[in-house]
Amino acid sequence: MSSARPEPGARLPGAFGLRLGLWYAGLFVTSGLALVLLTYALLASALAQRDRDLVLSALQQYVAQYRRSGLDAVREAVASDRMAGRHEGLFVRVLGPRAEALFASVPSSWVGLDLRSLVPPGSEAEPGWTLLPGPGAVFEVASARLEDGTLFQVGKSTEVRSDILLRFRRAAALLFLSSLVFAVAGGVLITRSALAPLRRLNAVLGGIVRTGQVSGRVSVRGDGDPLDDLSRLFNGMLDRIEALIAGLRGSLDNVAHDLRTPLARLRAVLEGALREGADAEALRRSLCAAVEEADRVSSTLTTLMDISEAENGAMALRRERLDAREPLRESVDLYEDVAEEKGIPLEIEVPEGLAVSADRARLRQALANLVDNALKYTPRGGRVRLSARTEGAWVVFECADDGPGISPEDLPRIWDRLYRGDQSRSERGLGLGLSLVRAIARAHGGEATVESSPGRGAAFRLRIPARITDL
Amino acid sequence: MRVLIVEDDETIAAFVAKGLREAGFAVDHSPDGREGLDMAIAGAYDAAIVDVMLPGLDGRALVEALRRRGVRTPVLILSARHSVDDRVRGLQAGGDDYMVKPFAFAELLARIQALVRRATGAPEATRLAVGDLEMDLLTREVRRGGTKIDLRPREQALLEHLMRNAGKVVSKTMILSHVYNYAFDPGTNVVDVLVHRLREKIDRDFEPKLLQTARGMGYVLRAS
Repeated sequence: MSSARPEPGARLPGAFGLRLGLWYAGLFVTSGLALVLLTYALLASALAQRDRDLVLSALQQYVAQYRRSGLDAVREAVASDRMAGRHEGLFVRVLGPRAEALFASVPSSWVGLDLRSLVPPGSEAEPGWTLLPGPGAVFEVASARLEDGTLFQVGKSTEVRSDILLRFRRAAALLFLSSLVFAVAGGVLITRSALAPLRRLNAVLGGIVRTGQVSGRVSVRGDGDPLDDLSRLFNGMLDRIEALIAGLRGSLDNVAHDLRTPLARLRAVLEGALREGADAEALRRSLCAAVEEADRVSSTLTTLMDISEAENGAMALRRERLDAREPLRESVDLYEDVAEEKGIPLEIEVPEGLAVSADRARLRQALANLVDNALKYTPRGGRVRLSARTEGAWVVFECADDGPGISPEDLPRIWDRLYRGDQSRSERGLGLGLSLVRAIARAHGGEATVESSPGRGAAFRLRIPARITDL
Repeated sequence: MRVLIVEDDETIAAFVAKGLREAGFAVDHSPDGREGLDMAIAGAYDAAIVDVMLPGLDGRALVEALRRRGVRTPVLILSARHSVDDRVRGLQAGGDDYMVKPFAFAELLARIQALVRRATGAPEATRLAVGDLEMDLLTREVRRGGTKIDLRPREQALLEHLMRNAGKVVSKTMILSHVYNYAFDPGTNVVDVLVHRLREKIDRDFEPKLLQTARGMGYVLRAS
């Protein structure tokens, strides 16, 4: 069933990569095209303006000449201009009031045009423009009628201009085509390099889905790029998952180990009873012992579940604002008689009105475990002091005894499950208490610590945030 | 008094049924949730013990269906899960009490009796007596054979609990929860110490000894 499905995520980079590439190429080409079109428009209008300026200045010059010295002077000026190579290719015509041609200088390219239609209105101050479409080019003519009815006309072919623009268009087309090639190639390259982390991510993810092994990691460049960040986060997530799986395996091992011992005792008691025979009183004693062992299994299991719930964050804490004195007093309440039996005074020292936000039952359980532990290790005549104080945003509960203390090599291991220091082998009870204390402290967002040296007692501390918002 | 047990584990059902019969209850049993619901609706039971994990219909749904039909029989829910949320869900479904497996029979019996007492509204006694030991619940005064005995508050609470359950075994778990309001296993035997102190006061100078240890099960206060 799963083999019929496409590789998870395998299609994504293809479609995504194509889209990314197309976007890149499209943007590149569009902006290139816009640039070329703009340049072309500017060039065309600049060339047209230049031609018209030329025509107008020639027109003004000839009209001025006509006013000053008459038509002959104009004729001479045109001839000399043409000789000098200035105004070459300019069409110049002067018409009388009745449209009779008084003078005309017609360049060769103008031959064959119908010039009769070139009698537009127009004054000297505001020359009128006429466009004359001809073969291969457009001819622009400016006309100015003087007060005496004389019509001056100067014209120019747009042939040169069109030629320049044609060349420009050719060059632009070539440029555009090559930019298209660059855009596509660039798009492909950029997409490839941009999507490389994603592809690596896919490969690792695919491997994990296929094999179920979460040991794979994505290579990270560390350049702060969002995809690189994604890879880093992904690795972080894998680390967490791996730790959780290891934790689960570990707690399963612990549960198996912790339960096997009392179960073995239970079995031994029952088997012993079976072997011993039919003495009713002996059977009764064995059965009583069996019930006690079974209760111990049950209680161990409950404690283990509490620890693992607290450790994996599944413990439902009902946090409320408490006076720190209450859980301390309640713990002392529980052990007062035991302490009195052992001749150990239990003292409480809490400042007035010290508030803590915690699950009342769990905090009391943790403190009770610390008191239990302290009473176990403190010899007759010793003292156990319970206190609470604020340290910044924390409320620190302390349970200090003047017992034999803990040796430096034991210190880091006392929080381990079922660990008991050497001298306590004879004491009854499971070594789960301190694990539970630490788990409860951590479930509250706090921590459990210990300070001790041999012969100088031990001080267990429970740091709990004073307010929930401080979490 | 009739009690219905809806439990698919035959061993547990037989164990509970036997104990309840010995305590004077008439007991019916069904291993199936649907059948159990029909029986609970049809029969006039004084209490029902319902497991959560059942074939046919789970225990919580059974209790919900029962309450929807207006049947007010007190129900004690049994479960192998011990989380607080599970307990809350069981009670929200309409259960009156909740117990986690494994359990001590003495505790189950005490709870069933409490449920029945609550449901029938039996009048509260103002005086408790076991043999020549007496407790006045109003003045908190305790006497044995006329001699006044001074008890500390915790000893008094323990004695009251034992006297209310006279003749029945009271487990350590029950004592922790009733006297100390503590729901966890305290490791060191807190209860043994308290029982020892109480025994010193009510039994040491008197005969016969009333407070006996039922090994593996708990303690019992008995006149004989």
